[in-house]
Amino acid sequence: MDHTAVITRYIVDEFVPDIGVDELTADYDLFAGGVIDSLALLRVIDWLGTRFQLSLDDVELSPDNFRTIDDINAFIGTAGAQQ
Amino acid sequence: MALRSQVVPALLEHARTSPSAPALLWRGAPVGYGALAAMTRSAAAVVAELPPGPVSVVAEKTPETVALVLGCLAAGRRVLLPAATLPVDTVSGLHDRAGCVAVLAAAADGTSNAARLTTHVVDVHAAPSDHPEPDDADEVAFLLTTSGSTGVPKIVPLTSVAVERFALWADEEFDLGPGRRVLNYAPLNFDLCLLEVWGTLRAGGCVVLADPERATDGVALLDLLVAQDVHVVQAVPLFYELLLAAVPGARVDGVDRVVVTGDAFRPDRLPALRALFPNARVDNVYGCTETNDSFSHELRPGLTEIPIGTPLPGVRALLVREDGTVLHGPGVGELLVTTPFQTPGYLDSPDRFTSHPDGADDLRYFRSGDLVRRTADGSLLLEGRTDFRVKVRGQQVDTLAVEQVLLDHSGVLEAAAVVVPDQRAGNLLHVVVRTDGSVNSLVLRKHCAERLPPAAVPSTLRVSKDPLPRTSTGKVDRKHITTTMELVI
Repeated sequence: MDHTAVITRYIVDEFVPDIGVDELTADYDLFAGGVIDSLALLRVIDWLGTRFQLSLDDVELSPDNFRTIDDINAFIGTAGAQQ
Repeated sequence: MALRSQVVPALLEHARTSPSAPALLWRGAPVGYGALAAMTRSAAAVVAELPPGPVSVVAEKTPETVALVLGCLAAGRRVLLPAATLPVDTVSGLHDRAGCVAVLAAAADGTSNAARLTTHVVDVHAAPSDHPEPDDADEVAFLLTTSGSTGVPKIVPLTSVAVERFALWADEEFDLGPGRRVLNYAPLNFDLCLLEVWGTLRAGGCVVLADPERATDGVALLDLLVAQDVHVVQAVPLFYELLLAAVPGARVDGVDRVVVTGDAFRPDRLPALRALFPNARVDNVYGCTETNDSFSHELRPGLTEIPIGTPLPGVRALLVREDGTVLHGPGVGELLVTTPFQTPGYLDSPDRFTSHPDGADDLRYFRSGDLVRRTADGSLLLEGRTDFRVKVRGQQVDTLAVEQVLLDHSGVLEAAAVVVPDQRAGNLLHVVVRTDGSVNSLVLRKHCAERLPPAAVPSTLRVSKDPLPRTSTGKVDRKHITTTMELVI
């Protein structure tokens, strides 16, 4: 399932609240762009766990899985499928 | 003969006497002293072929990189270790300023196999540098850098003798020798590695390398401490907060020494930290890259304030009033400190060392910029700064420099950077900018990320079209902005 819109809304509200959701593309590198860093990623992961009811104990939380909104969307699919 | 770093000779001796003793533990697999020495020799052979001069090593944390750094030291090269997280242009600027003749990277194929160590010469500069040597005649081993919140990190040369003195102190204090396991959480370019990595290898213990890819995964870090039977842990407060948040009520019984360093630890978190490490002595250590560790204070139960502590052996400290005179009794002054481990001075910037204000000795004192209160009983407590530097996630960040980077963008009219305390991170950096309407926070975040180290990239960046609040004297009212930020976050 495609969660791109929900993720984009969250990232925009939390980190770049002055922009419109259409200004953040799903392939934008959130780390290189300074939108999130390793610490902010903890917040994103907390949110993912709650919002999508994922159990994140046994999944690889490498920043590379969260570099873009597309990556995060794919991560939800993978983490959800493991349950 | 002058004292010089014995890290490489000691490593080779450990390899001769106990080749299978573990030197490093990486992703669950040990690298023995014999294997590490072989990799070191192989790296040294490559380095020896390069034109004379300092070399830069890409500080990606792997056993191969550790061996490469050792190989450079073995070949008598000064090693520049730029942070892996610095913007590309900043790193090439550092290479130029240090006069590096080559940029080296170790093959990170994860095999930790001596035969497979490949040293990649990423870049060789045609002409050897004519860069001036530091004033001090001592041989320089490491070229570390300050965090570079201004976008221009300063290069901090550390002499071989300073590294050796520090390693000897660290081994005596924490026992880093055979049979001991020491966590390395910090990136390889950090000054903390002088104890965790280079000091431990000097002494014959085993360095347990924390995987940077799981650096914020508290559960994985707890697992690592328990599974690898770690004895000594040194890290910034954020690390301990990650552990405490990961598994409530967790205990790590094997650790006997815990060092909290790099940032202020909250005294109210002390009971939880002591419960996490029930068998450990916990110390708060104060220091900086320029002087290395300077003070230590044991964190016993019931502390309500955490003092800087008492000077380490050979360290002297002064408090100096605003008028430049030495403060002898209780009061507040800037902390000046001199240590046996300190740098001879920045490589290419005016240094922050000064002589004793009263001429009482011939030592060179480092102006820390920290405002310190001496109480009636002689305790030293950190009060604040003489400048706009703050600690963000264990790294010094100059908020004025962050504001300047933002003001350099043509669309930004005003900028104010403030720090707000955060339970998990200690401090977070918050920025408010007034723009001309042509830029948004997405553009400005990228602008910052390309010019500043990660700790200096704002956690929140608010864009406003209204003028920033000003004090009656016309300065940006940072106090008002801080209060407002604390309310909304």
